[in-house]
Amino acid sequence: MQIQRRAFLALAAAPAWAERGLVTLDAGEARLIEAISDTVIPADDAPGAAASGVVTYIDRQLAGPLARFREAYRVGAGQFDAACRAQHARSFAELDADARTAFLHNIDAQGPPALRGFFRMVADHTMQGFYGSPVHGGNRGEASWRMLAIVDVMEGHAH
Amino acid sequence: MKLAPVDVVVVGAGAAGGIVAEQLALAGLRVALLERGPRLAFPQTGHDELRSQRTTVLGNAFGPEDHGYVRLAETSPGQFRRVLPSQGAYNNIAACVGGGTMSYGAMAWRFLERDFRMKSVYGAPAGSTLDDWPISYSDLEPFYTKAEWEIGVSGKRGANPFEAARSKAYPMPALPYNTEAGVLDAAARRLGWHPFPIPMAINSIAYQGRPACIGCPHCVGFACEVNAKNSTAVTAIPRAIATGQCELRTGCQARRIVMADGARAASVEYFRDGALDEQPCRAVVVSCSATESPRLLFQSATRVHPRGLGNSSGWVGRNLQGHAYAGAYGLFEQELFDGLGPAARVACCDFSHGLPNGLKGGAMLANEFIRLPYLFSRSVVPPDVPLWGIKHKRYVRQYYKRSASVKAPVQEMPVFDCRVELAPELTDGWGMPTVKIGGRRHPFDRDVARFIAARCEEWLKEAGASRTWTSMPGAGVSGGQHQAGTCRMGNDPKTSVVDRFCRIHDLDNVWVVDGSVHVNNGGFNPSLTIQAIAYWASARMARDLRSRS
Repeated sequence: MQIQRRAFLALAAAPAWAERGLVTLDAGEARLIEAISDTVIPADDAPGAAASGVVTYIDRQLAGPLARFREAYRVGAGQFDAACRAQHARSFAELDADARTAFLHNIDAQGPPALRGFFRMVADHTMQGFYGSPVHGGNRGEASWRMLAIVDVMEGHAH
Repeated sequence: MKLAPVDVVVVGAGAAGGIVAEQLALAGLRVALLERGPRLAFPQTGHDELRSQRTTVLGNAFGPEDHGYVRLAETSPGQFRRVLPSQGAYNNIAACVGGGTMSYGAMAWRFLERDFRMKSVYGAPAGSTLDDWPISYSDLEPFYTKAEWEIGVSGKRGANPFEAARSKAYPMPALPYNTEAGVLDAAARRLGWHPFPIPMAINSIAYQGRPACIGCPHCVGFACEVNAKNSTAVTAIPRAIATGQCELRTGCQARRIVMADGARAASVEYFRDGALDEQPCRAVVVSCSATESPRLLFQSATRVHPRGLGNSSGWVGRNLQGHAYAGAYGLFEQELFDGLGPAARVACCDFSHGLPNGLKGGAMLANEFIRLPYLFSRSVVPPDVPLWGIKHKRYVRQYYKRSASVKAPVQEMPVFDCRVELAPELTDGWGMPTVKIGGRRHPFDRDVARFIAARCEEWLKEAGASRTWTSMPGAGVSGGQHQAGTCRMGNDPKTSVVDRFCRIHDLDNVWVVDGSVHVNNGGFNPSLTIQAIAYWASARMARDLRSRS
């Protein structure tokens, strides 16, 4: 009974990318990218990057037009995780929101070039996934367009 | 395979090539119009910001794709890097029928009289090859008029007091102002400037059997879903085909122009579906853009022309230029966004010439096309707002509909070392050497850009912006979608590549007709000038070729 309940909770908390399946990232990388992207675009009363499917966007595009970044994700995720564990003795996804933000600010402002490059790449791809067309796997339910009140404009015509 | 001869092979079905093909076909000549890209229907490209002509993060909707094509670009001084078409440093225009006109913003400017005699007006600054054109505005005026009527331009005659004389009104009234243009027009008048509606190659009313613009916001960077944007793909090229004299062949990547002797071209070789075809002809027109036209001439080198066809001067590939874009952004308390495209609707030419402090040239100022959400999130962010995090999200949310931007294509001083060269060390998907693009823009451009950016900012402040900031061009070589200059038109074969009718000085029957022939690129989007020159050159070419047959 206990096990069943735990399995149920795990299912309920399953991230969007897990339901939709991964093509290029492994689960550990996906968890890291999700945590970074959701710090880059956090939820407020509008969805953040995680809920809008940014991980799925990145995962799918790495198998297509963004394939040239695949190796950078693989290598960068490992380096990033190592740097986070060295500082916090925990994975980035286990940090609270403030600690995540502080860690990213530090990398963005004065981190080693490799980590900074990795972070800025993920941040850019996060913006693409969040604000771009839903056909690519991100911007689920046109979340960003609803936030900006431009669904009518983006879907068809203003007039 | 060696094909049956035609009169003329036109390489490149873009802004200029489409017109040349049409005009020669109408003159009764048999034309083969070659295009490396496909003929695109609207659903193939759609309204996807991430795969548009402006934002190519997921590829170029209008080609070329990232496989098969590659270049070297000087991304920092002395450092050349391999770049793909979807990367800015590649300096891509497009690879499809219609070329850049399929997805352009469609501003349809005439250059001003002084743009054709810059050296006489200003003198060339040290380190620049600035010169006068071998043709004047009045030579070209009838052909500007022809372009406006044949391609279809909306505009308001007499609204721009700085415009040179015109022989005929626009064929269509100007597109009405959107909210932003209305606010900016009033502000410019308060400043004593002279704002007017931008002439656009977009139908404001039904024209030539195609409908009026429906005002969708996806304009620049996209094809038009109702064909109200006047590319050569919906104007000149269909008319060329309708003559029965012109065959459009897509998916044809030119390999070289084959010479019969030292002065005459005999045919064009091109790859199609993996095979090499040879099209014999009496004349060749190269209309591949200011980066690909010189490449084809380089690739066609022979023993007699070891540095490439038309290159006895050494000027092929030189003087690559685009525009030194300057601009400003402003944030407003009230909403300016009305979703009405094309958002660029108002301009002024008060600073196109006659700037103070010895500045040469200048730029037209216009409000910017719509900034779609991803582009906004990356590039319309004031210096003190972070580029990520909750503050960034709140900023985007608050100001997406409360921002305006004014941009200005600052006229560049041509520089000999801004150039396109063959790169034998790197081959493309056909095994042909690709090009490398290098050089640094003239430092003078930044002085003009600084002055112009300040005017853009002044305009937005007067319009009520609560916060403003400027944007400045970089120092690297310029080209991009306005690329020009690499096969200069001139009277002296030692310092130019083609004559005043676009025929290569060194050869009897090869012409270059595209932005490559521009001596300088004006302070304007160049497509209408490219097209006016295409009509001008075609008229002469048709006469020459008919008299020779």
